[in-house]
This record gives sequence, C-alpha cells and structure tokens, in this order.
Amino acid sequence: MSKKSRSKLWFLVHSWLALPIWFFVLIVCVTGTLAVVSQEIVWLANPQMRASQPADDAPLLSFEQVLAAIKKAEPQTLVESISRPDESHFALDVSVSYPDGRSQTVYVNPYTGVIQGSAPDFNFQAFTRALHGWWLVPFTNGYSWGWYLVSFLGLPMLASLVTGLVVYKRFWKGFLRPTLRIRHGARIFWGDFHRLSGIWSIWFIAVISITGTWFLIQAFLFDNQVSISTEPIIPAMARESVPISADASPPPRISLDRAVEIAEQKIPGLEVSFISMPGNAYSHMSVGGRGWYPLMFQTATLNPFNGDMAASRLISDRSSLEFVTESMRPLHTGDFGGLWIKLIWFFFGLLLSMMVLSGLLIWTKRTALATANALKRESKKARSAPAQPAFARETSEANL
Amino acid sequence: MSQSSTATPPSRLSRFWHKWRFHINALLLLIPLGFMPKYFADVSLFRGDSGLGEREIGDVQVGPWSLRLAELRNEAPHLSGPAGYMKDFNAALCDACVEQVKATYLRIGKPRSLRAAGVIFFGTPYRMGSQLPVPEKTKADAELWITMEGWDGSMHQASIPLSQASPATIAWLNKQGAKP
Repeated sequence: MSKKSRSKLWFLVHSWLALPIWFFVLIVCVTGTLAVVSQEIVWLANPQMRASQPADDAPLLSFEQVLAAIKKAEPQTLVESISRPDESHFALDVSVSYPDGRSQTVYVNPYTGVIQGSAPDFNFQAFTRALHGWWLVPFTNGYSWGWYLVSFLGLPMLASLVTGLVVYKRFWKGFLRPTLRIRHGARIFWGDFHRLSGIWSIWFIAVISITGTWFLIQAFLFDNQVSISTEPIIPAMARESVPISADASPPPRISLDRAVEIAEQKIPGLEVSFISMPGNAYSHMSVGGRGWYPLMFQTATLNPFNGDMAASRLISDRSSLEFVTESMRPLHTGDFGGLWIKLIWFFFGLLLSMMVLSGLLIWTKRTALATANALKRESKKARSAPAQPAFARETSEANL
Repeated sequence: MSQSSTATPPSRLSRFWHKWRFHINALLLLIPLGFMPKYFADVSLFRGDSGLGEREIGDVQVGPWSLRLAELRNEAPHLSGPAGYMKDFNAALCDACVEQVKATYLRIGKPRSLRAAGVIFFGTPYRMGSQLPVPEKTKADAELWITMEGWDGSMHQASIPLSQASPATIAWLNKQGAKP
C-alpha cells in the first residue's frame, strides 16, 4: 500500500470512530465534565453547603465535638458517618438516620457544629455521575449494562487519539506554531480548532480513555468473579470481644477523637478526614483519610469498645498492580488535589466535548463541500471530458 | 462516506437515510430517559422517603420487643453472583427497644443456637437491612425466623411464615418447582 493511501485509510478510520455515535459521545463527555465540578455546582446553589467561619480565628471542631453538637441539637438523630471534604469551603457531610426511617446527608458547619440543612432532594452530584457512569441503567446482578456501554467508549477514544496523531503529520510543530485561523470560514476554523485542542489535550485524552477502558476491564473482571484485590476480608468481631452490659443498655464506646488519635498514631502521616460508625454491635468503626499519595485513602478498622486496631489498609499494603488500578478512578474524575485540579479537568473536559462537536462540524462541512464539488463536476462532465473521482478531494488530509 | 452521484436519482428513503444516518445515535438518549423514573424511585426508596421498603410486612412481636419488617423490593430473590439468590429485608426496631437490642438476625428455618441465628442486620435501629440467602430448594411452607439479642445477653425469637414475609419469594419458589 502506498504511503498516501495508507494515510487516507488512517484518516477514514479516524473519522469513522466517533462519527456514527457522536451524540452519545458528546453527552457522555458533557455529563462527565459536569460531574467533575458537580460538588462545586451544588455548593454554589446551596448556601447550606458552605463552611462559613464565624470569626477569622475560629478553630475547626474535632469529630467528637461535631458529634456532640448534633446530639445536642437533635438527640434522636443517629449519626452514621462524618466526612470532611477536601476543600475547606465545604461544610461537613454527615449521614444521619432519623427515627422515621429516613436516611439523609446533612451539612454541618465545621466551626460551630450547626446543622445547616440537609442535602437537596434532587442529588445533582449523584445524578450526573449516574448518567455519565452508567447511563442510569440499574445495577441488578453485577455491573449494569449501561456501565459497559459507557466504559466501552474508552476504546474508540484511545483509537481516535492514536489515529488523529498519525494523520496529523508532524503534529509537534503545532505546539511551536499554533494556528487558529478565524477569518477563513467555518471549515478552516473548526479544522484548526480540532487540531490545536487535540494536541494540547493529548495527555488528557490519554488519561480519560485509558482510565475509561480500565472501568470496562474492572466490570468485566468483577462480573466474572476475578479478583485482583490483596485486601483481606475483616471478619466481624468475635462474640466475646463485645461486652455485655448488666443494665441492658449499650456499653460505652471510645470517643471519635480517641479513634482519630489511635489511627494517626498507628498510621504515620494519616490525616483523618472521615469516620464511619459501626454498622451493628459486631462490626468495627472505620477511620480514614489521605496520606502522602493523594490518589488513595488509608483506613484503620477499630474495635469501637476498646480501640484495638483490627486491621489497617495503608498505601504500602497495595500491590503494584493495585497501585495502578486504584489510581484509575481519581485520575478519571480529577478528584485528588482540590479545586485547581478539578478546574483543569473541567477545562479539558469542555475542550474534549468541543472536539467531538468540531469533528462532526468538519465532517458535515467537508461533505457539503464535496457534494457541491461533485455536482459541479457532474455538470462540467456533461459538457467536456471525464473528471477526477468525486471522493479524491474529500478524504485527503490536506483538506482537513 | 462519499455521496454517490449516480445517474438515477436516489429514492426518498435513501436520501433520508443519508441525511440522518449519523444522527440516529441520538436515540440512545432514550435509554436514560426511560430509566429515569426507576432511578428516582430507587433514590427515594434508599433514602427511606417512600417508607421502609416496597412492601411492608408489619409488626412482629419478638419476646418483649417488636420490630417492623419490610421487603426492600416486592420481588423474587435476586441472583448475587456466586453467592446465590438473595432477598433483602429492612427492619425498624420499636421505640422502647432501640437502646436494649444489641443485634437482630434473620434465618429461614429455626436456628439451633444464637451462633447460627442467620444473617445480621446492618444499619441503625430506625432503619436497618439484611440480605437473606434463599436456597433454591426452600420449601414453600418454610418459616422466617427472627432472633433478637439484648445487650444483657438475653435472646428472643419469633417466626412468621415465609408466605407472609414475601409472597413474591413463594411465587418464585413455586414457579421453578422447589428443587429437592
């Protein structure tokens, strides 16, 4: 095959990868972009979610102080977990259970312990994630088929990146001499835009498509009962290790601050950001947070009655394979380093959505042009000698 | 991808196809639209906004205590990978027993001891859930046993017919012909 026809073939492959499913890809890109900043969007819309500091020097309350404040304000409400979001402008997320059987997340001010309000009935964060992640298809036995549908897109996306770079000859020159011709009509503009945003997004498209493909593999492994986890299953507490109380009331548990102290003592470098209460009398409490490697959490599993550490899961406990696979999700969502990382992910997410649109626009305009040319040639042919084949123009890379 | 420019004019259908073939995938949006009511119903079910479960079984007296029992879904047991068929039940403890009950268990058939009381409930006394394994060979006249254990070490048991606890499970067992 000649060099020219080979590049023509690559070009065809590149255009066909997303074209027949462009709208699906576009919506997945847009919902993913929104999901990155969904927490911030909810923060903007709901003042209850904001952590306003009463005075400049007001200190943060400890977990036990927060628990006590909730107990004082609503003695009947039971706390199931407390989580301190990464960014200090967010209130604490506390999952609670009410006597009427409802379970909800409430926003608690980290400085005053005031319950500022409950999460809105429409959970925008969860909804955008569900739409982006599994197309709202319910999970029944194992992963939902919507999950497969969306995560499969990682493959054509990766192929688009590779073929895009193959057909864009000497693409590295685009870094040195960026071209974005605005005054030469829509076709030229979108072509330049597609290439320029493409080369600056190489890293991002690679990250998103590789992690997306991992989600496909993950579902496939899970549904076929293949496990790569080295995490031991922690058995429930032994009957003997749960105290019996003579007066028939629950025996005292260690305070949350004591639990944090124990965990931070046993796991150097741990900054506790969440505590989950035991799920029943025989289960442990779990205390965790990020360590030196921001993409993973470390947790300590404690006996809530005497504070013994039943198990811990540290960054160093992960196998090298898990080190890679567990980094996939934070890399995909951009949720590992605060607001700035999220904003970078959001920006490139928008750019990626625009790449889908510009790709489509180029194709439509080119086809329109090619059709017009073909018609012109037809009428010419009627008058004079036969012309070149109609498709010669439209598939050439110079025409992009 | 090249437009054909043959002598005969293309039929209306093929013109339509050529114009819209790459936009048909927008119909994939019908999938999340169709699942949206189910999504929101599930959200409300799991938050407890629509009650303890899809089908309330009612109050069951267990010794001095009582609990309200519900089927999370008014459906047959669901297959949970290699673990087999599972049926989800939710429960809420009576107001007076919130402080006294240490643990609550469910089992098909009478437990021989507290150690074999069955699956334990997780959650708060206001709303807790458990996943009960339902062997395919379960008899249709089987009983669901509830064991409650107090912080003082006391233990109380009660049972209700499985047919009362979950008619959908009985229908499922009958349909596949309870395996010997």
